[in-house]
Amino acid sequence: MSFCLETYLQQNDDYKILIQRSGVKQCYKLIEDNAKEIIHVNPGDKVLGARLIGLPPIPVGINEEEGTILITYTKPCHGTAAIEIPISQEEIQNVRDMDIGA
Amino acid sequence: MKALVLLGCPEAPSQTPIGLYASYKLGQMGYDVTVSSNPAAGKILDISDPEGVYVKKRVDIEKCLDEIEEGDYDLLVGCVHKDAAATFFITYYHILKCKALALVFSRDAEEVAEFADMVESSTDADIIAVRAFHNPNPIKVRFDKYLKTLEEE
Repeated sequence: MSFCLETYLQQNDDYKILIQRSGVKQCYKLIEDNAKEIIHVNPGDKVLGARLIGLPPIPVGINEEEGTILITYTKPCHGTAAIEIPISQEEIQNVRDMDIGA
Repeated sequence: MKALVLLGCPEAPSQTPIGLYASYKLGQMGYDVTVSSNPAAGKILDISDPEGVYVKKRVDIEKCLDEIEEGDYDLLVGCVHKDAAATFFITYYHILKCKALALVFSRDAEEVAEFADMVESSTDADIIAVRAFHNPNPIKVRFDKYLKTLEEE
């Protein structure tokens, strides 16, 4: 699946920003506090086709009942944001399969 | 030999001269150098070096991140002066898995220590950590020393 997170955020309003213009560690904490399930990936691993930027191991939150995942999004000048975006049920399993077991 | 020079947010005045200088020095050493930056830092480079004397190749930091793979570069040199710059450097490092140097600088000593610690705990990269903001010379001096060691290797 090809997915441009920036384009998605510009063209949709069904996502939630938990925090923005923040530090990466604060964003990880918010993801860990707000997700019912957490998996971890390495920096540069592609989640939904978008490379995740961050410190290893990078937490990715899954809220299966709500059909969302929580990921960080980093811009060089604006810092890091934690966002919750919708995800299909089949993609949830693909994300789970990426867990590095950290 | 291919080198990638990674720039962060251009808010730190020392970054642009160090980016140009690193590109120039590595080019002199025989590296095929590419500078990866966000659009704002890229525009500053374009205007500072209109004929591309120092920066021969420039790419967008996010597009580049999407396209690079392990083995594409032999050396990564990154400016790390913000939390986001540290995360970009660490991510580039984990994808490229090549020799890497983090130039950690800030006007604030606590930030220098914090960013150096982020890089050190997440990579095996070499680190130059120094207080610098307007004046790029403290970074240049340490960088020159590092390059001498690199040449001797």
